[in-house]
Amino acid sequence: MAVNTKAIKRRIKSVGNTKKITKAMEMVAAAKMRKATEAAVNTRTYAKMAWDLLVNLSKVQEVNLPLLEIRPVKKLLVVLVTSNRGLCGSFNANIIRKTAEQLKDPKNISQHMVGKDNIEAGENIEIDVVGIGKKGADFAKKNGYNLIASYSDISDTPNLNDILPIAKMIVGEYEAKKYDKVVVAYTDYKSAIVQTAKLRQVLPISELDLEKMMNNLGTDNEDLKTDEQKQNQTLITDTYIFEPNTTDVLKTILPRLVETQIFQAALESSASEHSARMMAMRNASDSAEDMIDELNLTYNKARQAGITQEIAEIAGGAAALE
Amino acid sequence: MNTNILKFKIATPEKVVYENEIFQVSIPTMSGEITVLPNHIPLVSVLKAGELKIVDKEGEHPFAVSGGFLEIKGNNELIILADNVERADTIDIDRAEQARVRAEEEMTKAKTGEDVNFARLQAVIDREMNRVRVAKKYKNVK
Repeated sequence: MAVNTKAIKRRIKSVGNTKKITKAMEMVAAAKMRKATEAAVNTRTYAKMAWDLLVNLSKVQEVNLPLLEIRPVKKLLVVLVTSNRGLCGSFNANIIRKTAEQLKDPKNISQHMVGKDNIEAGENIEIDVVGIGKKGADFAKKNGYNLIASYSDISDTPNLNDILPIAKMIVGEYEAKKYDKVVVAYTDYKSAIVQTAKLRQVLPISELDLEKMMNNLGTDNEDLKTDEQKQNQTLITDTYIFEPNTTDVLKTILPRLVETQIFQAALESSASEHSARMMAMRNASDSAEDMIDELNLTYNKARQAGITQEIAEIAGGAAALE
Repeated sequence: MNTNILKFKIATPEKVVYENEIFQVSIPTMSGEITVLPNHIPLVSVLKAGELKIVDKEGEHPFAVSGGFLEIKGNNELIILADNVERADTIDIDRAEQARVRAEEEMTKAKTGEDVNFARLQAVIDREMNRVRVAKKYKNVK
């Protein structure tokens, strides 16, 4: 019996240590989450304003620029945003499952939605993957997708300089007509508890999809505001002056919009990662706590049983002597 | 609505740097420096690296900006979306200078390289030179 209590004692200690670690990780994740969430929210302002501007521009003039060009999809690029590290619950599993699901049926995802008409994708769609974060890159390698680049040295709270090379590459490849559609898969941060895996079209820049993204940026009274803005815009768009000219302005804005979108995805993903990790660690701490309670109970019972048995043995021995 | 005031907002992808009601602002654009006063006609333009000067109730505030774009809306709203903005008094001259020197060194190395890289480096040099210039200018005044 003595051996048993010792083993339980050791178990309690080890679970206690684990709890300490998970507790610490929870705290760290909480602090990082606060920072990441703030960054994500701050970027939303810029993204929204840049988008408003683009809407205004598109009303003034029909423009044909490479980044707006819609081609039947023969080659698809997926930017998969995941985390570098594990221990964050189902965060990576969710986004990877969602992506895998979509990639199984590349035809569906490769359709272009233009108003109500769909432009069908070509046959034999090729898929290339760019991984942001190690886990996504691992997934692509394991499942035989063509991984053309992997960026895993991005910090916990990404800044624009981390994202710029990725965005530049994507814009360049699209302009060179190497890819006909670019999709970014990331985890959207809704709240500390709710995060949803999402796939979103980045290129060609489409009004429909951007609109969806903007509406998803979770602001209240969005409908009211846009209605009001729409009225304003119809009143004033005719009088806009463009310096030097519309095309030059658009040429500056469009790549920025792509950059912002990818940056936004990275930020949302990082905010989601940290909150997922925080929740996972909190659950782990709670489970550890429960386990310790249970083990304590078992330990006490074993101890008690040991004592009872000893007394019974002594009493038995004394009785035998008489 | 007070028609003698501009609602001004300057944002980078990372955050909103400054938001206030102002009297006038001078902005470096591709086609030269412009000064915007209230009741300006709606305008969209592209910024280049330079010095941005805002005049509000408290006086003049200099900023160093690198590229971006600006939008003046019809209802006295001015929005600047910049790649990089800093208040002149928060720029660390020494570090800006170092960054410029570093970029220039890379430039000489990259002379043989591809021109994409070249353009980016040139942009960095422009930006850092501009930061140094703006920061120095206002250091002396104080």
